[in-house]
Amino acid sequence: MEAPPVTMMPVTGGTVNMMEYLLQGSVLDHSLESLIHRLRGLCDNMEPETFLDHEMVFLLKGQQASPFVLRARRSMDRAGAPWHLRYLGQPEMGDKNRHALVRNCVDIATSENLTDFLMEMGFRMDHEFVAKGHLFRKGIMKIMVYKIFRILVPGNTDSTEALSLSYLVELSVVAPGGQDMVSDDMRNFAEQLKPLVHLEKIDPKRLM
Amino acid sequence: MRQTEGRVPVFSHEVVPDHLRTKPDPEVEEQEKQLTTDAARIGADVAQKQIQSLNKMCSNLLEKISKEERESESGGLRPNKQTFNPADTNALVAAVAFGKGLSNWRPSGSSGPGQPGQPGTGTILAGASGLQQVQMAGAPSQQQPMLSGVQMAQASQPGKMPSGIKTNIKSASMHPYQR
Repeated sequence: MEAPPVTMMPVTGGTVNMMEYLLQGSVLDHSLESLIHRLRGLCDNMEPETFLDHEMVFLLKGQQASPFVLRARRSMDRAGAPWHLRYLGQPEMGDKNRHALVRNCVDIATSENLTDFLMEMGFRMDHEFVAKGHLFRKGIMKIMVYKIFRILVPGNTDSTEALSLSYLVELSVVAPGGQDMVSDDMRNFAEQLKPLVHLEKIDPKRLM
Repeated sequence: MRQTEGRVPVFSHEVVPDHLRTKPDPEVEEQEKQLTTDAARIGADVAQKQIQSLNKMCSNLLEKISKEERESESGGLRPNKQTFNPADTNALVAAVAFGKGLSNWRPSGSSGPGQPGQPGTGTILAGASGLQQVQMAGAPSQQQPMLSGVQMAQASQPGKMPSGIKTNIKSASMHPYQR
């Protein structure tokens, strides 16, 4: 399970607005090894970390047109790890020159009764998937290379099927807003992964 | 010794033929003389013809080699170059961002790849009976025998996507509303 910055204090306002800077790309299965080797060379020296996570996305439909989305993630291979609840806002559409996708981000570690709590609050699960892959770190940058598995029977994480023949590659940084240097650093790092992977700012709304 | 930076220790009779030679070696000189006499012997026309044929053969060879190299290069590099597939990138990003292709997917093998795109165009009719009916915009008629029950776990699911329709052949008879 990834280790995001965790807010231990209750969010009463006046907290720093953390933003997630994101670049995404993909790599085909047969090129995964070369990508992993390159990342091991480029990133901080640490034990290669693999993860197997189960993520569920919950929606709360209010009177407003767009539902409120929360993402709950649990680690399937690390016993005792807390659940991870995440809110991601809409991408900031400001600067066209900014190299990364920037959106508001709130990360919270929770206990295991998260799904019950969310259902009680009125959330309903929209979709879920299993993510299995590798995790690398370079300074404040986090690089995840993982494969998305579709869950065939809802709630049963054993019956899964790969969504595609590629691994998704994500380069993300969680930092306070307004730091353009962060996206420059990300872009420079992304340059080093070409031509294996093209990490770029992909607007999800375009893919709807 | 000083002038040659220490490379020639003694300027003696052995060193002179090697260092001060201007003519080629005697054997080489002999061969060259022979070649020139041969060339003079065959005459100018024949020599020209020989030159032309040599040129033609060389250019043919060069062309063949370059074509071979080009073909093998592009054939070899192209499969290697494809380390990522942009279509896959988009599919994966869409899956992570809003669940496209995940639980709303119907695993019907023969209906082809066009299907996952269709749920997006369907609309949800909130039936009073509580069942969620999905109107497939332009759903081909051949799909209906395969499509069947509404996924019960998502019966209360909101969201802009219609609820997943599982190809559960058994329950096809359970939903007479399904067109």
